[in-house]
Amino acid sequence: MSAPELGNKSVPLQITEDEAAVYDRQIRLWGLEAQQKMRNATILVFRLKGVATEAIKNIVLAGIGKLVVIDSEDVAEEDLGANFFFRQEDVGKKRVEVAKPRIESLNPLVTVETISDPSLSEGENLDLLINTADLVCVTDWDREGLIKINDICRRFNKPFYAGGTYGLLGYIFCDLLKHDYIAPDRAAPKEAAKNVKNTTVYVPLKDALRHRWTGLTRKQTKELNPAVVFTVLALWDYQAKYGKLPDSIDHASDLEALALALVARAQVNKQALSTIPRDLVETMVITAAHEISPVCAVVGGMLAQDILKALAARESPIANFFTFDGSTGGGSVVRMGLH
Amino acid sequence: MATKASSSRRNLHAEAVLGPELSARLPETKVLLVGAGGIGCELLKNVVLAGFGNITLLDLDTIDLSNLNRQFLFRKKDVKQSKALVAAKTASAFNPNVRITPIHGNIKEPQFDISWFRGFDIVLNALDNLDARRHVNKMCLAANVPLVESGTAGYLGQIQPIVKDRTECFDCVPKPTTKTFPVCTIRSTPSQPIHCIVWAKSYLLPQLFGEEEDAGGELDEAEKQGENAKEIATLRKEAQAFTTVRSALRTQSKSESSNAARLAFEKVFHGDILNLLSMADMWRSRAPPTPLQFDAIRQDTFKLEKNGSLSPSTNGNSQPNSSIPNGSAIPASGSAVTEKLLNGSHHVIVSKLGLKDQRALTLQDSLELFVSSTNKLASRLQAGEDTISFDKDDDDTLDFVTAASNLRSAAYSIPGKTRWEVKEMAGNIIPAIATTNAIISGLIVLQAFHLLRKAYNSLHNVHVQFKPSMPLSSISMSPPNAQCGVCRDTYTELPCDPSRVTLGEVVSGILGENTRDVSVYEEKRVLSDPDWDDNLERTLESLNVTKGKFLSIVDDDGEYETVQVGISALPPNHPIDKPAFILPDPLPSPPKKVKPAPAAPSTPPPAPVSSKKRPAPDDEGVPSAKRLRTTATAPAPFTPSKKKRLEDDGLILLETPDEAIDDDAVIVID
Repeated sequence: MSAPELGNKSVPLQITEDEAAVYDRQIRLWGLEAQQKMRNATILVFRLKGVATEAIKNIVLAGIGKLVVIDSEDVAEEDLGANFFFRQEDVGKKRVEVAKPRIESLNPLVTVETISDPSLSEGENLDLLINTADLVCVTDWDREGLIKINDICRRFNKPFYAGGTYGLLGYIFCDLLKHDYIAPDRAAPKEAAKNVKNTTVYVPLKDALRHRWTGLTRKQTKELNPAVVFTVLALWDYQAKYGKLPDSIDHASDLEALALALVARAQVNKQALSTIPRDLVETMVITAAHEISPVCAVVGGMLAQDILKALAARESPIANFFTFDGSTGGGSVVRMGLH
Repeated sequence: MATKASSSRRNLHAEAVLGPELSARLPETKVLLVGAGGIGCELLKNVVLAGFGNITLLDLDTIDLSNLNRQFLFRKKDVKQSKALVAAKTASAFNPNVRITPIHGNIKEPQFDISWFRGFDIVLNALDNLDARRHVNKMCLAANVPLVESGTAGYLGQIQPIVKDRTECFDCVPKPTTKTFPVCTIRSTPSQPIHCIVWAKSYLLPQLFGEEEDAGGELDEAEKQGENAKEIATLRKEAQAFTTVRSALRTQSKSESSNAARLAFEKVFHGDILNLLSMADMWRSRAPPTPLQFDAIRQDTFKLEKNGSLSPSTNGNSQPNSSIPNGSAIPASGSAVTEKLLNGSHHVIVSKLGLKDQRALTLQDSLELFVSSTNKLASRLQAGEDTISFDKDDDDTLDFVTAASNLRSAAYSIPGKTRWEVKEMAGNIIPAIATTNAIISGLIVLQAFHLLRKAYNSLHNVHVQFKPSMPLSSISMSPPNAQCGVCRDTYTELPCDPSRVTLGEVVSGILGENTRDVSVYEEKRVLSDPDWDDNLERTLESLNVTKGKFLSIVDDDGEYETVQVGISALPPNHPIDKPAFILPDPLPSPPKKVKPAPAAPSTPPPAPVSSKKRPAPDDEGVPSAKRLRTTATAPAPFTPSKKKRLEDDGLILLETPDEAIDDDAVIVID
């Protein structure tokens, strides 16, 4: 019997005993019901670079129903450092087309569709794509593009994820609309750990960006790693202003100025952060436009894990802005604009 | 073949992020990956993409279907093949500039000695067991090679960079040892499902299908530890009565063997329980078990005297907890449909009630499963299999343990467990997903970059945790534990021919001019001490001290740290007329021991009570009578030889209230 067809919404597809044998170790973690929910989900992923490669690997292994990958670019040789779906001989070919069979081989039960024609992901076609998905994930994208797609997702009531890396730094943002989920009460003693119902109301990116850090103590602020957060936000500003990411030491002062302006506007506790460390700024202008596989693995792993949590409605997803610092290995989540 | 990294644009991004110096060094870097499983596959991918030029990958395991949800270098067609070999083959396609050397083997094998470890610039662990981790930790300390330790379980994980003398080693902080249960809890007074599962897996299965052996050994220990002597005597008789059943299982005679399952049942679920019931003391403060009746259960007329609830307790799975009285099944509609399709068909849709393995078993189900699995195992014996032991992937043994443990649970009014749950508990399965392993592997490589740069102040331990505001916690390193029994030792290497060099030559050679009173060990074995030097003239080989092993030279006065001498091979061209060993130059000079902080009590605390109180039925995981010393306890202020003399006098002094005694023959006096 070949891979079963995708169930439609009224008749969700059930998993088989054979699938259960492959998924055994993860069903023991999140249960059969969560596995069924994943099995019935269609996920859209925009842009196939390092983070998307990792996130796709993870969600396909986990056993989502259908993956649609959208990227109109060709494979460049420098992609080979963080994208294991590409080979040397693929340079110059369409990214999604060379990746498709390799993604499929990870898990033959998952349907994989690819879109390399840009017109198919614009205007009305974009609306259509998003409307047929259960969740949308945009990677390595610019801020204005993220805001635009986030808004379309809101219109069609679809959960939205964004993720990317800048050298050793990385981020994940999500807008899950009104998200109901179950999570164990981990404060309770182990034997009595009960599942508790929760709801988080999310906001779109454009609203999250207006978040103020007023009222947080020095300690509270420092725990959120504000230097990294504002570096990422400053990179977005830079990209919006100049149409590209910084790529030279000459751009350091510009980036620093942008970051400081954001910090001031956000009213960050001055004792926790008065300046962005100079060496961080200088490192970022040299490395922001680059990706390396271990950082993509961490961010792509966190991203995929969160997508699966959102689909399963189990465990609390990121709420709502995660940043990762690859030099320390630390990752924090800031609640931006949430209540 | 590894070629020098071309100035190709493949490395463009890595060069920009890592800097020209480190990225130029990566093609020359020799890295050892220990393990090619969940973490290993992800780690190999990262290390290959990053351009580590020489990668050695070692794993002893073969690929299983259940690996495929996360070990992404493997495909269904690779099942049963070597993990190291297949992983290397798949990953090498990701970067033609690296060379991967796969080894299908066990890292504890003697050929992987200090010299071998020294051949690497860095070691990255991707292991799944404490024993191998301890071993690699020790070898890396001995060879002075930086190590990154790691582990994952479900959504959680952590990494730990380890550098000799700069950071804690793996054993600086004691790790919890695996839980064990007292013999009597398992054999006569279980109170939890796990007790019954351990009984079925580690007692009944071996007794029927394992090696013919005197089960008395375990009972002798228990008796010495002070468990109830009368109880032990009863258990001893019970164990001996297995002989009849064992031969019935192995006989070729059809009539006898078809009855063997029933014989086994009658013995363990009826006769043995009757015997236990005769010991009134045991049941004064706990509910007695009910002997089971084969025919009555089969005909569904058997009634348990207590309310034997047979509900499965699921962990977070879709099935709600339901209490099922007296052996009635879950409503049969869904599962009956599934039942019909079950035999052989793997494309069966999982019923609404869950996987077929997640069905609760009625008493009848358990009996029939006991009979069928016993018969299957008996046929295997008759077909020539010598002994059969538990393997969670061996359906017959899993069926047997599921059935036997549920029958025992029923007799003791303990809730039963589904086959699904039994597999996890008996098989020690840790739930595992791709994402945690992917995150951890990325973190490992990022710390590895710091290690290669010798940027020790940049090192961090990282924990993947359930904290919404900080899912990845980066923690500063701690210095080595001054009392650590592993990394505070002085390590040295002795290339030698164990068949020619004597213990005395080694010891006096290593001590050099600094002659002092020492005791010499290999692992836990005492080879010599100041009062007993018979072994000094014997060759290492005759003492079973061979390549890969360590001789521990312990200072008798407790002044100096222990010297660990790693035995390795002589270089190939070593002249035959030269001594059969090459001393290190300079000789190791162990530092003086750092005394523990004065907070420790100056008088020894009272020793534990002699006759072991029977644990109350509700006690969870009472530490077993057989406790093992962990490697990270404080070094004994008494030297081993002094300790031996005191023991001869019958005295034992404990350093701390928690210190365990590892000599099982010792009797503790109040």
